[in-house]
Amino acid sequence: MALQNLKDFHRPGAVEEVLALLSENDEALVLAGGTFIRGLEARGLLNGLETLVDIRRLGLDTIRVDADGIEAGATATLAKLQRVVAAQNAAWLGGLADALDCPPLQIRNTATLGGCLAASCPFFDIPTALVALDTEITIRGSDGERRLPLPELFFGLFANALEPGELITGLSIPHAAGHSAGAFGKLGAHANVLAIVNVAVQLTVDGGLCSAACVALGGGVADTVVRSPAAEAILTGSKLDPAALAAAGEAVAGDIQPLSDHQASAEYRRAVAKVMTRRTLERAVARLA
Amino acid sequence: MKQMISLEVNGEAHELAVEKNATLLRVLRDQLGLNGPKRGCDSGGCGCCTVHVDGQAVYSCMCYALSYDGASITTAEGLAVDGELHPLQTSFIEAGAVQCGYCTCGMMMAAKQLLDECPRPDEEQIRQGISGNLCRCTGYAKIVEAVKMASER
Repeated sequence: MALQNLKDFHRPGAVEEVLALLSENDEALVLAGGTFIRGLEARGLLNGLETLVDIRRLGLDTIRVDADGIEAGATATLAKLQRVVAAQNAAWLGGLADALDCPPLQIRNTATLGGCLAASCPFFDIPTALVALDTEITIRGSDGERRLPLPELFFGLFANALEPGELITGLSIPHAAGHSAGAFGKLGAHANVLAIVNVAVQLTVDGGLCSAACVALGGGVADTVVRSPAAEAILTGSKLDPAALAAAGEAVAGDIQPLSDHQASAEYRRAVAKVMTRRTLERAVARLA
Repeated sequence: MKQMISLEVNGEAHELAVEKNATLLRVLRDQLGLNGPKRGCDSGGCGCCTVHVDGQAVYSCMCYALSYDGASITTAEGLAVDGELHPLQTSFIEAGAVQCGYCTCGMMMAAKQLLDECPRPDEEQIRQGISGNLCRCTGYAKIVEAVKMASER
């Protein structure tokens, strides 16, 4: 039986109680949807765990949309965000909509936004899409609240920049300025597997030229989700013509350090990252039309 | 030390003493004797443990039971009403969408949410709706056909 050493299963009703529990015990694990934690447990990685702190009674599951963008609580499920994004039906949210289509129904109904970020798993899809949208997270600790641009949360393979006792309470996705469209692409063997490579792009155009570009890659192209400054530099100022998209695809190779694992070798990831980037850019460009 | 939770399962209220590390799947199968949800991969990869929590399909193997105190659960056993099979059940039988049967209950619960939200899905939507459920026997063609048939009933 797994979690055989679990002694305490807390279900606090207020953020302050969570922070108190986390500051008392830096071995305690925060539980939201539980899909990542159950995955770790099933692999025998949590056998020593003694304390779980379930945060789904905190009321952090709301999502608000206004002219500034989307504000979501940490325990909002992927399904809830998907409904909100679908209702917006906006080109600038195209990448997030694509990414939210990837996880199966059962995961979307359970997994939370805060959980999928805190896991800092480079193979997840939603974090890559959120990086491309310049998402910021809100973190609460005993010293108060701080905000962090998303890429800075990801510290390494399954490692994040949260200090002991800190909790992600929400995230904000700023409304893209100007005429902007996004797209997301994933290479995976089937629906319910981790990505071999995933790519999220966000393109903004002004007067026929690309005025801003973001290219984010995940799925084991590095220890964390990464951006490709080289690809972004090629796209920015370009006409987003086929040559520019192809050149940007080639350029991502210099900004990634792919992992080798049971799914794919580093060389394979490097090769398909270029193709996936070009194809994802093509989808975003089509959405700008 | 066990803790008490209340669950409404297939319309019936239960007060249950559960282990802190117990999954919803374990409670349903081992404490309530409901064998519709199956223990397959036990880590959210195969879908045969799928049940509904408040109308939403979830992998019951990924849910800690203590987190679901007060929830309303529906398993495949709750699909039939007064002995009358649910259209999905009838269609799975008529389409021959069952071979070993291990995936069937989970497959129907995933399909049920699809049909609840999208009563007339096309093949692409059906395949997307059951993408979190694996079948190792049928090759999915007859399962897709069964869901399509159920949507037309």
